Amino acid sequence: MRRPKALHYGAKKKPDYARKQSYRFSRRALLVGGAQVGLFGLLGWRLHQLQIREASDYRLLSDENRLMIQLSAPSRGSIRDRTGAMLAEDKENLRLLVVPAFCKSLPDTLDRLSRIVTISRATRDRVMRAAARQSGYYPVLVAEGLTWRQFALLNVLAPQIPGLQTDRSAFRRYHHARPMAHLVGYVGMAGKEEVDLDPVMRLPGFRAGRAGVEKTFDEQLRGTPGTQQYEVDARGRVVRELGSTPSTPGKDLVLSIDHHLQAVAQERLKEHRVASVVVLDVETGAILALASTPTFDPNDVVFKVDPKAWSRIARDRDQPLQNRAIRGQYPPGSTFKVVTALAGLHAGVIDTRETMRCPGVYTMGRARFRCWKAHGGGIDIHEALKQSCDVYFYETAKRMGINHLASVSRHLGLGRVYDCGLPEQKEGIIPDVAWKRARFMQPWYGGETVIAGIGQGFVSSTPLQLAVMTARVATGRAVLPKLVLTPDDPKPDWPELELDPKHLEIVRKGMFGVVNEPRGTARRSALKIPGVTMAGKTGTSQVVNAHNEHKLSAYERETHALFIGYAPFDNPRYAAACCVEHGGGGSSAAAPIVKDVMTEALLNDSARAPVFAGLSRDEVANQVAVVGDGG
Amino acid sequence: MKMLFAQAPAAKLDLAKKLLLLNWPFLALITAIVLVGVAALYSVAGGSFDPWASRQVMRYCFGLALLFAIAFSDIRWWLKGAYPLFLLALGLMVLVPFIGVESGGARRWLGVGEMSFQPSEMMKIALVLAIARYYQWLPPEKIWRPDALIPPLLMIGVPALLALLQPDLGTAALFAIIGAGMMFLAGVSWFYFGGAIVAVVVALPYAWEMLHDYQKQRVLTFFDPHTDPLGSGYHILQSKIAIGSGGLSGKGFMNGTQAQLNFLPEKHTDFIFTMFSEEMGFVGAMILLALYLLALVFITFMALRCRSMFAKLVAGGMGLTLFAYVFINVAMVTGLMPVVGVPLPLVSYGGTSMLTMMIGFGFVLNAHVNRRVTFRQSELGGLW
Repeated sequence: MRRPKALHYGAKKKPDYARKQSYRFSRRALLVGGAQVGLFGLLGWRLHQLQIREASDYRLLSDENRLMIQLSAPSRGSIRDRTGAMLAEDKENLRLLVVPAFCKSLPDTLDRLSRIVTISRATRDRVMRAAARQSGYYPVLVAEGLTWRQFALLNVLAPQIPGLQTDRSAFRRYHHARPMAHLVGYVGMAGKEEVDLDPVMRLPGFRAGRAGVEKTFDEQLRGTPGTQQYEVDARGRVVRELGSTPSTPGKDLVLSIDHHLQAVAQERLKEHRVASVVVLDVETGAILALASTPTFDPNDVVFKVDPKAWSRIARDRDQPLQNRAIRGQYPPGSTFKVVTALAGLHAGVIDTRETMRCPGVYTMGRARFRCWKAHGGGIDIHEALKQSCDVYFYETAKRMGINHLASVSRHLGLGRVYDCGLPEQKEGIIPDVAWKRARFMQPWYGGETVIAGIGQGFVSSTPLQLAVMTARVATGRAVLPKLVLTPDDPKPDWPELELDPKHLEIVRKGMFGVVNEPRGTARRSALKIPGVTMAGKTGTSQVVNAHNEHKLSAYERETHALFIGYAPFDNPRYAAACCVEHGGGGSSAAAPIVKDVMTEALLNDSARAPVFAGLSRDEVANQVAVVGDGG
Repeated sequence: MKMLFAQAPAAKLDLAKKLLLLNWPFLALITAIVLVGVAALYSVAGGSFDPWASRQVMRYCFGLALLFAIAFSDIRWWLKGAYPLFLLALGLMVLVPFIGVESGGARRWLGVGEMSFQPSEMMKIALVLAIARYYQWLPPEKIWRPDALIPPLLMIGVPALLALLQPDLGTAALFAIIGAGMMFLAGVSWFYFGGAIVAVVVALPYAWEMLHDYQKQRVLTFFDPHTDPLGSGYHILQSKIAIGSGGLSGKGFMNGTQAQLNFLPEKHTDFIFTMFSEEMGFVGAMILLALYLLALVFITFMALRCRSMFAKLVAGGMGLTLFAYVFINVAMVTGLMPVVGVPLPLVSYGGTSMLTMMIGFGFVLNAHVNRRVTFRQSELGGLW
């Protein structure tokens, strides 16, 4: 209850602070309000000064002496393959624009222009509509892709036709487009965030790499823009150029790819819905072919883009934009037995003398693991690789344990991405005890080791990783893939693998048996070239498990078909890996592809083809003319 | 009679009553200013509702919904919520350097999924509420005491320091102006303000050392924009040319050559007043300023009519915010002040500043609707 005392009249009165404060607020609020009015007066005075007293000065500045700074976009570096064939280049795009505000009469101007450039009814309507809708000072595009003749003629006529503007921009052209689409990638307009980082990206005609090599080496390819400063008159026409700094074109790139081999590989994959193949030069690590199907034409997405076509590509169920060779992660299946065999030999848990019996099933505790066939007795390591006996490798994996298997896998180049210029590679999974604890917070179970021994369970790899693994087994060296060639590249000297060369020899012989000996799983895919043999390993990896069985369609239940191989057997030069998604058996779907692509590489000797990067710029120009005629 | 009146508990107002009490002419005034902005954005885009004007209208509608929600809410919630809200805003501002998104060399934004917002904007509202709450609690007879200054100075100083660290000089200055103005309105003695001015003059050389290079550059080019017409003086010079060439009646809607030929930087955000005065001339610019002044007069009179100190100060504080924004922006584009990157409220394109202003006006109207409400000491508790 409030004390009424303070409100009694006649009692000793305490000053009413609340009332005083309220009055003080009113006084001060009016004071602040007065100050605000005064400061607004100051703004008004300033506007009066600028817009009334000095208006004529500023109008002069605005009308007659306008400084215009234009940035000129640099031309983007070109991309070529190892033979010098052009893969991506900038083409000049000559354009004709009109600025409606400067035209005396827009229809008249268009009539006069139509004598030089064909202007269709539709274009005319579009221009008229655009001119009516937006500010007259915005240039409207009338035609692009002009010929030099038209362009020169227009420039000569420009002083007589007010409102006419011409400019030179560029667009990106891709050659061998479909096979190279994933590797080379494509360019696009810069996104909002990139523009914030670097305002140069706002330049019309400035494009940034969006995928593939175009993305990885964007900075080199891009170049630096130049500036031009003009004085322009009230009609926006250039009075004089005040100065300019030229733009620096981007650097050119040469890839290690052989476009011919790439095209053959792409063609060979065509019969499958989703598949990919990789061919490496085992000595240098150079990627000679890296094809993925389905593919797309990057020319459709960089110039005169049709939104419908683009959304068809982007939304396709089979995702043509994805590069399966570096982004498809598959259980390697039996191709992984090469790794298990090497790891087992390295750990000393198996040797060449030991034979096992394969009753078609392997039991561990209450769990039963099946082999694809009952191989019977007398299976040693050579037979186990050749006939792809699961039981042998179940036992091998169980004896050495998962951590040893994982470390040898990583030593062979699996479970990592390579710094070779391909963006957005997937890592794959090489599981071990620590990985599972970190990922699922669960302990590792023995049964998981057993199935990891045949490349199932958690194990997954990309075709590029499998090709690198194959190259390492074939050479005994820690080969790394390489995609970009630079002049005066030293011949790479890869370090030796820390594996016993005798063990490698045992495994290589087993891989030889797979393709060339009776009962080998890929015997039908032996090379037909006299005196040259291939070594390899098939893989058929299972997709269905207890969790997903009921969710998958018939196509999705089908096994993945894989094959890894290298040739020639006695003096390895090429290593290849192929995966056909849901393609069935490795021996029937994947091995024939590798056989054909390998045959092509051997007959053409892709790796020895003249390497373009060693040439100087002038020589390049000559070479281009020659190659250009052929291609 | 007098006693009864003073003691009568404020009746709970129902919604119908509140609708009647709302200051509708003020709302119409705000809408008029927004429409001017939409027209300007339409012109900036070269005669198109895309990409700015249409979104600005959508943001205004969203802001209007928030304004009504706040205006019709119970003022006691905000009295109770003022400090927690302030602490929340402060916490978010502390987080910005760690998890904020960097853009253009400064970290000011917090990302929440697709959206991003600036905690310093939230702080502008929270600061006003917190200071108003403080002076509502402070017994009027203690207002002269020096120790009574410590809490409000901390409330202003800590957020201002955090804003400086981001670095965002404009926002820090805004906090200082709003805070000092509210302390003045609340009745803090003149002597303290005199002392503060002396202190600022003494501290100025040290503050200069703390500025970032780009901020120093801005201040320097302000004093002489012609030294570097293509560098940082470019904005001011082009802006002055645009405004000056507009003349008395302007170049006409959608016909500003400076703006349309892309001489102007940021012409849809911070420099929209430039574009507007180029196309509409002195007459148009004065009309827009008159609209703002009218809004300020409305707010001042709403503040005077409030009974409680909290409501008075909330309305007065929001008025100061509006004034500071408009004055800094117009002074900046006319070359009276260095470029600090403050938008023109309700007119510049930008969701955050539009929402901040609409929420602020929501609180002004809330104070107006609750103008007869008084609070008992028991409703306030202690400092907290």
